[in-house]
Amino acid sequence: MSRFLNFDTLALHAGQVVDPEFGARAAPIYQTTSYVFPDTDTASSIFNLERGGHAYSRITNPTVGVLEQRIAALEGGSAAVCTASGMAATFCAITAILGQGDHIVASTQMYGGNISLMKNTLPRFGITATFFDPTDTDACRAAIQDNTKLIYGELIGNPGLDILDLEAIGKIGADHNIPVMIDATFNTPYLCRCFDYGANMTVHSVTKWMGGHGVAIGGVVVDGGNFDWGATDKYPTITEPYAPFSGINLWEEFGPAAFATRIRAEAMRDIGPSMSPMNAFLLLQGIETLSLRMDKHMSNTMELLDYLSNHDQVSWVNHPSLASRSSHELAKKYLPKGAGSIISFGVKGGREAGKAFIENCELASHLANVGDAKTLIIHPATTTHSRIDADALVAAGITEDMVRLSVGLEDVADIKADFENGFRAAKRFAKG
Amino acid sequence: MGFRTRQIHAGVTPDPLTGSILTPIYQTTTYVQPSVDEYLSKGFTYSRSGNPTVKALELKLADLEGGLDCACFGTGMSAVLATMLAFLEAGKHAIVSDVAYGGTYRLSTKVLSRFGIDYTFADTSNPDDVANSVRDNTALILTETPANPTMKCSDIAAISEIANKAGAVHAVDNTFLTPYYQRPFELGADVSIHSTTKYMDGHNATVGGAVISKSDEHAEAVRFIQNSTGTNMSPQVAWLTLQGCKTLSVRMDAQSASAMAIAEFLEAHPKVEQVAYPGLKSFSQHELSSRQASGYGAMLWFEVKGGLAAGKKLMDNIELWSLAENLGSVESLITHPVTMTHADVEPEERARVGIIDGLVRASVGLEDTEDLIQALSDALDQV
Amino acid sequence: MYFEINDKQVFATTGGKPFDNSKPTIVFLHGSGFDHTVWNLQSRFFAFRGYSVLALDLPGHTKSEGPPLESIEVMADWLHDIFESLDINDVSLVAHSQGCLVGLELASRYPDRLRSVSFITSGLETPVNDALLSAAREKPESAIAMMLGWGFGSAGHLHQGPIPGNSMVSGGRKIMRGNTPDALSTDLHACNNYKNGVAAAEKVNCPTQVIVAGKDRMAPKKATDKLIEHLSGPAVAVIRESGHIVPQEAPNKCRSLLKDFIFKNNPTT
Repeated sequence: MSRFLNFDTLALHAGQVVDPEFGARAAPIYQTTSYVFPDTDTASSIFNLERGGHAYSRITNPTVGVLEQRIAALEGGSAAVCTASGMAATFCAITAILGQGDHIVASTQMYGGNISLMKNTLPRFGITATFFDPTDTDACRAAIQDNTKLIYGELIGNPGLDILDLEAIGKIGADHNIPVMIDATFNTPYLCRCFDYGANMTVHSVTKWMGGHGVAIGGVVVDGGNFDWGATDKYPTITEPYAPFSGINLWEEFGPAAFATRIRAEAMRDIGPSMSPMNAFLLLQGIETLSLRMDKHMSNTMELLDYLSNHDQVSWVNHPSLASRSSHELAKKYLPKGAGSIISFGVKGGREAGKAFIENCELASHLANVGDAKTLIIHPATTTHSRIDADALVAAGITEDMVRLSVGLEDVADIKADFENGFRAAKRFAKG
Repeated sequence: MGFRTRQIHAGVTPDPLTGSILTPIYQTTTYVQPSVDEYLSKGFTYSRSGNPTVKALELKLADLEGGLDCACFGTGMSAVLATMLAFLEAGKHAIVSDVAYGGTYRLSTKVLSRFGIDYTFADTSNPDDVANSVRDNTALILTETPANPTMKCSDIAAISEIANKAGAVHAVDNTFLTPYYQRPFELGADVSIHSTTKYMDGHNATVGGAVISKSDEHAEAVRFIQNSTGTNMSPQVAWLTLQGCKTLSVRMDAQSASAMAIAEFLEAHPKVEQVAYPGLKSFSQHELSSRQASGYGAMLWFEVKGGLAAGKKLMDNIELWSLAENLGSVESLITHPVTMTHADVEPEERARVGIIDGLVRASVGLEDTEDLIQALSDALDQV
Repeated sequence: MYFEINDKQVFATTGGKPFDNSKPTIVFLHGSGFDHTVWNLQSRFFAFRGYSVLALDLPGHTKSEGPPLESIEVMADWLHDIFESLDINDVSLVAHSQGCLVGLELASRYPDRLRSVSFITSGLETPVNDALLSAAREKPESAIAMMLGWGFGSAGHLHQGPIPGNSMVSGGRKIMRGNTPDALSTDLHACNNYKNGVAAAEKVNCPTQVIVAGKDRMAPKKATDKLIEHLSGPAVAVIRESGHIVPQEAPNKCRSLLKDFIFKNNPTT
C-alpha cells in the first residue's frame, strides 16, 4: 500500500489489525472488563500514557478501538472516541474544553436533545449558549462574545432542513480562534467530510445511519486535529498540564489528537459513558455497508421527493436538494452525493389529516428515531411537540400538517403504495 | 489444582495481544493464513471446524471432566447425535437407557432407525438387563444417570465393564450431576455427554452441548462428525457458557442443598404421594448414588395425591417456580414431562419406564430455599 | 518547553518532566515534514526513567519559529547551538529519517558531545525524486500525500496504530499541514543536497544503533546497508512489519530497542 485507501475500502478494513494469534478475519468481541499486564513496567507505562494499550474497558477496549479508528479514517480525523450514545458524545466533547463562565454559539436548527443540553443542562454548570439562525451566518458572527469557546451546529438542520454554510462558519471560527463542532449524524462522512470545509471536530449519533440497522445505541467524537489550541490561552484543558497524569501537557504530547486524548483521559475516566464492545461490533457490521446504504437511502429519497412534490394531497415538501429551497446551492456544494434522507412534508387538511396519514401507513413505522434501514414517519404536532400550542409550533418550525419522514431502504414502490393508504385516509380532512 | 480453580482458569489464558483477561468472542467465520505453506499453523481455518472462543470452552470442559478432548455443539441433542454417528453405522446396534431424555428416545426411534441402526432400550438401572441386551454388533451403550425425569440411576462402573467386554463404547450423559459431582471416566466410561444448556451455562442464556472423550481414537471420531455435520457451537454461546462455568461448583452446592431441603419438605407433606430425590434415604438407589457421585444434584420429581389433575392444579397455581422446559438454571423451573419434555414418548413406554401421569419434575434453582418451599407450600394448599 | 536559538523561538517537549541538564539527555530529532509528536510513544517513557528529554521541532515545524533550515549542515550546527545554549553533554541522539543525516553530520563535527546515536530508517544520503521535490514546492497537499503514502506501511494505511482510537496517518497529515508552507519543500531539498554521508559516517566514534524497517519504501535496504557498512560496528535491528515511520508504526518494538541500547551506552546513575 503506497497511497491512501478509498472510502469503501476503509469502511471495511480501517482500524482492524487481523488478529495475530489466530488470524480471525472479523474483529473479535473483547467482552472483558480488564487486561492482564505482562509486567509492572508495561502497566505503569500504559497508565502514564507513555504507550498505547488497554487497562480497563471503561477507558479503552480493543473492539471499540477498531470502531473508533475506522470512524476516524472515514471522517479524516486524527482520533475518535466512542461513547454510549450520541448525546454522551456531545456532552463529553463540550465539557472537554468548556467550563463555568464559558459560552457556546449554536444553531437553532438542531436535534432537540442538543438544544435541551445547551438550554437546560449546561447552564446549571455555568455554560451558556446563544442560538443563531443557520441561514444567517452574520448572526453567528454577531453572537460571539469574549467568553465564546465553541461554535456548534448541524450541517443538515433539524427540523428545518436548512444547510449550514460550513466554510463561512469555519472562517468565523478561525478568525476568532474558536473551534467549530458539527453534529454530522444526518450527513455521515459518506455524504460530507466536514473537516474538509473548516469544521474542527464532529460528533455523531452512530445509532443512526452509521450503524444503520437500529440495533445499537452509540456515539462518537472525532477530533479533526486541525485546530490550533495553543494560539490563545482560552483552552487550558488542552494546553495546560493535566494533574491526574503527572501533569501531562496534551497539546505538546499529542498534538493533533490532543482534544480526543482529553476526552479519553477525563470524560472516559471520570464520567465513563463508554460504548460496550458488543455494540461496537454490531456498529462495525453496519459501517461495512455505509456507502451502499447511503446511496440507496438517497435514490429512494429522490424518488419520494418526486412522488410527494406531484401529489395533490401534499401542500408542501421540504428537502435541502429542492430547487425551490434557499439551501439548494449549499446542498450542492457540501452534499453532492445527496442531502440526507430526511424529508418533511405537509398533508392537506392540517393536524387531523397529518394524524390520519400516519395512522394509516402500515409499512412505515411510526416512531421518533431517524436513520434506520426501515422507513420511519412521525407527526410532530401530535407526538414530540403535542404539548405546545399552534403559535409555538410555528416558532419551532413545525406546522400542524407536517409529517417528518426518514426514508428507508425498502423497495420505493412499496413505500409509495403504503403512503397511498395514508393519503386515502387523510382525504376526508382536505377541503379544496 | 482443585475443581474450583480449574472451573475458573482451565482453557482460558489472557489474550496475548491486549492482555484481555477473558477470551474474546471470536465472532468470525474465517481465519487469515500467514502463507500457503503455513496453512493451519495458527490452528483455525473456518469456524465450523474450530473457533478460538469455542476452543477455550472445549479445553475447560475436557479439563473439568478429566478427559482428553472435548467437542462442543450447538445443542445437547447435537452432542447426542454426534456420539451416535461417531460410534454407530448401518448394521450396528446400540443399547440406550430406557429412561433417557425424550429427545434421545425420539432421535433413536424416529431418526437414526431409518438409517439401519438398531436400538434396544434397556433398563440400565439393572446391569443384568444391559448385559442381556448385548449383541455381536453392539457398538454403543448410552446411559443417562440420573435419568431425566425419573431420576433412575445407572451403575457406571458395572455398565462400563459390560461395554468393555462387548467391545462397545460406553457414553454417559452426565448433564444432571456435571463433573463436579460425578466423573464417569474414573468409573470406566469412554465418553461423557453434556447439554451445556443446563448447569454449565446455568443462567438460561444459551443452548449448547458437549462430548468429552477419554481417548484419542474416540475424540477423533467425534471431531470428524462435528466438522462433517456442522453442528458446531457458536462463539457467543461458548463465551456465555465460559462465564457460567466459573460458578458451576458454587451453584451446584447451593442448588443441591436447596433440593435436599425441598425433597424433605415434600416427603413430609400430607398432600404429596411420593418424592424421588437421590439424596433421600427413601430413594431406591440412594446407595448407588452415594457411591458413584459426590453430590445428589438439584433435580427431583414428586407426585401430588390426586394424580394428574392435582399436579396440573399445583403447576398452574404455583408462584416463583416457572412452568417451563429446561433445567439446571439459577431460576427454579417446574415441568410436567408427560405433556412437555416427554410428550413424544408413547404412553405405554412412559408407563413402562415410570413416567407416571402425575409426575411433576422440579429443577431447583438458586433462590432462597425458604422462598421456594413457601411457594410450594402455598401451591399445595390450593390443591 | 520554549527557548531561543539565534533569536528564534524553539520548541521541544521534555516528555512530561522538567528539563534538567545534570541528567543524561536524550535528544529526539524528527524527519522531513514531521514534528516532535512523532516521538510521543518514546519520549515520555525515557523522561519517566531518569533521562532529560528534548523532542525538538525543527525551525518552521509546528511550534518552532521559522524559517526552516536550508541544509543538513546548518541543522547540525543548529543542534550543536542547542547543546551549547542549554549546556548539555552526554547526549544520546535518536534520529528518524532526515534527522539521521543531521545526526551523522553532528557526530562527525562534534564527536565529544555524543554518547550514542540511534539511526532509525535512513541511509547515508536521501536522494528525493523530482516529482516529490516539485510537488513540495508547488502542490504541498499532493506532496504530503506522497510522503505519507510512501512513508507509512500497511498499518498506517489501515488506520491501525497502538493508541486506541487514534489514526496515525490522519494525525501525520494534520502535522504536515500545520508546518510553515515551505517546511516540507526545504526539508526535502536539504536531504536531496546532502552528499557528505560517507565521510561523516566514518568519523562517528560513539556507539551507534541502526533500526531498519522491513517494509520501508523511503529508505530501502540498499540504502540502510550502506549506512551500516560505513559506521563502525553499529547495533543493527530490523522491524520486519513496519514501514518508514517506525516511531509511530512500531512504537513498542522501537522503544524496546532504544531502551536496551541507551540504557547500556548512556546509563542513568
